[in-house]
Amino acid sequence: MSRPPILTPRKTVGNPTPRIDAIERVTGKATYSGDIHLPGMLYGRILRSPHAHARIRQIDVSKALALSGVKSVLTHENCTVVWGAGSISGGRQYADEIKKITRHKRYVFSNPVRFFGEPVAAVAATSRHIAEEALRLITVDYETLAFVLDQEEALRPESVKIWPEGNISLDANNEAEPEVYRRGNVEEGFRKAAFVFEDRYTTTYVQNAQMEPRVCVASWVGDKLTLYTPTQGTSNCRHDMARDLGIPDEKVRVICQYMGGGFGNKNQNQDADLIAAVLAKEVGAPVKLELSRKEDFIGVHGRWPTTQYYKVGVSRDGVLQALQLRGYSGMGPYRKNSGAIGGIELYQCPNVESSVYPVYTNRAVSGNYRAPEFPQGFFGIESMMDDVAHKMEMDPVEFVLKNMTRKSNDEAPYSNYTLEDCIHRGAEAFEWKKRWHAPGATPGAIKRGAGMSFMTIRSPLGQSSAVLRLDSNSRYTVFVGVTDIGAGAKTTMAMIAAEALEVPLSKIDVVWGDTDRCPFSVGESGSRTTDMTGTAVIEAARDLKRQIAEKGLPKGQDALIASASPKPTSEGKVRKSFGAHFVEVEVDTELGRVGVLKYVAVHDSGRILNPLTATSQIKGGATQGIGMALHEDLLYDRRTGQPLTAGYYGARIMTHLDAPEIEVIFIESDDGYGPFGAKCIGEAGIVHAVAVVGNAIFNAIGRRMKDLPITRDKILGALA
Amino acid sequence: MSKRKREISRRQFLEGTGAVLAVATAGPALKGQLSSASPPVTDSAASGAPSTAIRLVVNGTEHRLDVEDRWTLAEVLRDHLGLTGTKIGCDRGECGACTVLLDGRPVYSCSNLAVWADGREVQTVEGLAQGEQLDPLQQAFVEHDGPQCGFCTSGQLMSAKGLLTRNPRPTPHEVRSAMTGNICRCSNYNRYVEAVLAAAAAGGATTPKRGSGRSAQSAKPSAAVAATKSRRGTTIAAASAGGVR
Repeated sequence: MSRPPILTPRKTVGNPTPRIDAIERVTGKATYSGDIHLPGMLYGRILRSPHAHARIRQIDVSKALALSGVKSVLTHENCTVVWGAGSISGGRQYADEIKKITRHKRYVFSNPVRFFGEPVAAVAATSRHIAEEALRLITVDYETLAFVLDQEEALRPESVKIWPEGNISLDANNEAEPEVYRRGNVEEGFRKAAFVFEDRYTTTYVQNAQMEPRVCVASWVGDKLTLYTPTQGTSNCRHDMARDLGIPDEKVRVICQYMGGGFGNKNQNQDADLIAAVLAKEVGAPVKLELSRKEDFIGVHGRWPTTQYYKVGVSRDGVLQALQLRGYSGMGPYRKNSGAIGGIELYQCPNVESSVYPVYTNRAVSGNYRAPEFPQGFFGIESMMDDVAHKMEMDPVEFVLKNMTRKSNDEAPYSNYTLEDCIHRGAEAFEWKKRWHAPGATPGAIKRGAGMSFMTIRSPLGQSSAVLRLDSNSRYTVFVGVTDIGAGAKTTMAMIAAEALEVPLSKIDVVWGDTDRCPFSVGESGSRTTDMTGTAVIEAARDLKRQIAEKGLPKGQDALIASASPKPTSEGKVRKSFGAHFVEVEVDTELGRVGVLKYVAVHDSGRILNPLTATSQIKGGATQGIGMALHEDLLYDRRTGQPLTAGYYGARIMTHLDAPEIEVIFIESDDGYGPFGAKCIGEAGIVHAVAVVGNAIFNAIGRRMKDLPITRDKILGALA
Repeated sequence: MSKRKREISRRQFLEGTGAVLAVATAGPALKGQLSSASPPVTDSAASGAPSTAIRLVVNGTEHRLDVEDRWTLAEVLRDHLGLTGTKIGCDRGECGACTVLLDGRPVYSCSNLAVWADGREVQTVEGLAQGEQLDPLQQAFVEHDGPQCGFCTSGQLMSAKGLLTRNPRPTPHEVRSAMTGNICRCSNYNRYVEAVLAAAAAGGATTPKRGSGRSAQSAKPSAAVAATKSRRGTTIAAASAGGVR
């Protein structure tokens, strides 16, 4: 077996490096948005709908306004701001044109309300307790309406229409069309296939549940708004705020220094940012708007639940002939993201057809959560294929090696290709041949099983910016518009600068997370920051080195300033990160309990710039995936449309005792693009972590678990 | 305004704040300050809500405060003492981000009313380092990349501190059990456990420091240690603390 070389660490990149701000993080000195306190600041609170779908007949805020300390109350009657990034987008949030044309506008206070938890009113008061008291004094007369919670049910003719056009979510052109992809001819493929298999898989709404709930401090000085808010993209947030409030970009300053995670929950601007800004303008004082954990759980967004129907045709020797997916994604009542279902791209197959319907429901809104369309899609298709391998009496690893993607969509070349190496390396480290066995073969009540899954995920290049300053005291300051969501962007940017400038890391300072001080950055979403902003830092360093060569080092009060806004491309090649996960589980067939015994995660994310933080990213992603596979869920009462399990306990988020040891192995590569060859990593760990657990459970008990989460009751039911 | 001590049950407390209870935050602009000196108590009880005069010893410094009876300990630490290192992730005893040591024992400060802490000793993350000298746990957290986003880190540190105080050489399972009431959504659990074990191996237990500068700050260090010795598992201690009155 060929073993790709491990790249030699360079002077700075490639060496395990503690975060440059680690001390702030362990001493409590790191300032998060909620730690900001401004003089004269008021507190904001939001009243939310207690119904899944209702028309507001009347709101009476007079008692709330009469309460001592209450300064302002907003409702749909006096605040008609439309939150552009809250709907329509189909993943195209940054296109202002879409907001102008869309028929499905999302007002920050809507009437009718379309999900339990939709904002109905907001209060600003002199203390948070008074603001909470005021919420209780607002009386709302609701006319409750029929509601629908399930994405398939929503398409039945008898279901309530959440929007007049029906329940298929409109796309950016206001059209109710599924997302369709085709190559070859599936009907012909199925006719030619020796065997055809069909099945249905479902996944549920899981919430990002980042530790820091949404909070925003809005402050106006004259006509300029300053917003302290946790956002995965200060530049995008600023532009969205300016557009939604109808003011120029330069009249908005967004500051985000430290931030308690997001996993996609904090992209762009949020309705809380808009509400805080409007309240602050109304009262003429800074306003801190805080969301409770429950509000964050149901009021922001989570991963879209899906129903996936697969039809797979294979030849007698187990080669894919045709692959079809019909999928339904529950978007909640606003389409905050595409609702796509990833996965068909994992396989080489001449005939492929995929139609995915994004569907409105009266549940919490769906949006970005770490690799938005992948973990749920990969669970569906990789469970399906594992089952096909079983029915064809093939080792699942052999089946994958025979059928996995070799070119992007079977045509475009990858910038490099290490998928096969990832799988071989993982199988070897995991001892696949020893651990995998005939399904359900372990004797006794406690059964062991082994599973594998693999992945590819986009690692695109794109435009971002960086500014570098060199002072006469030999300090290099990097100005980058990144925020540090937890992946360590600040440290990575400093390491890239040190490497590119050929100076020690200790000489680098970073100014980040402030639109008045930093240039545009892409935003910490889509695993893009290292690739895009990192490339800009390298280009700026090149510029600075050129200037130093020309002018010499600055002396006295001189300074050298360099900048770059590169827009690199991968020249027609498709950049992807690759990976393979292997897991062994133990299933107690009497109690239904699943324990993870061994977990090996092999990844090619290009050159690993900081092995310390990169390893943490993979461990975290895999662990979140295990939670999604085994227990995370947001259950609804079907009679009332109310969510029942919002929060850490209810949704059963992974804890210390749940989390197994994740063994991380990097296969490094340098495809010649990106900063020193680095590729996508932040989302890479979660995408196939759900599928691998399901496959291992199948190997343990010989029953295919098709509906997430794979809870104890479902396992016991399957075994009964 | 009432100054008398009042008995407030956890039930009343939760009923009063339930659905709309949200993150308590504030503190001086742009810095989490150390409480080496007692900062002026701003925003003291003034809304007409019942309040009580209490005495807290926080990180070795005594504070006399007039607190509204509905204020949680987390709220008072963050808003009124400027100790914003203590984070509030859920405000209802689920996540552990707000964990502090109360008389040496890890508790969820969001689920303890400030009035309940009257006369007691509180240690927060700001009280871990001795000046520039990091606690061995903090040092290990840095080296093992414990904090990713860092929001749960203060709570993880305080739970670990409580654990190592009563069990200087825990097994990996004992570490996980003691800290399982501290959720990390970045899910860096492996790293946190590694770091605590490394700190323990490096002598990160508080034993050598007893009788040094730290205990001089402490009102009743030996009692604090004794109080934790009989308890197994921070989770139970932390999770039940709010209800123990």
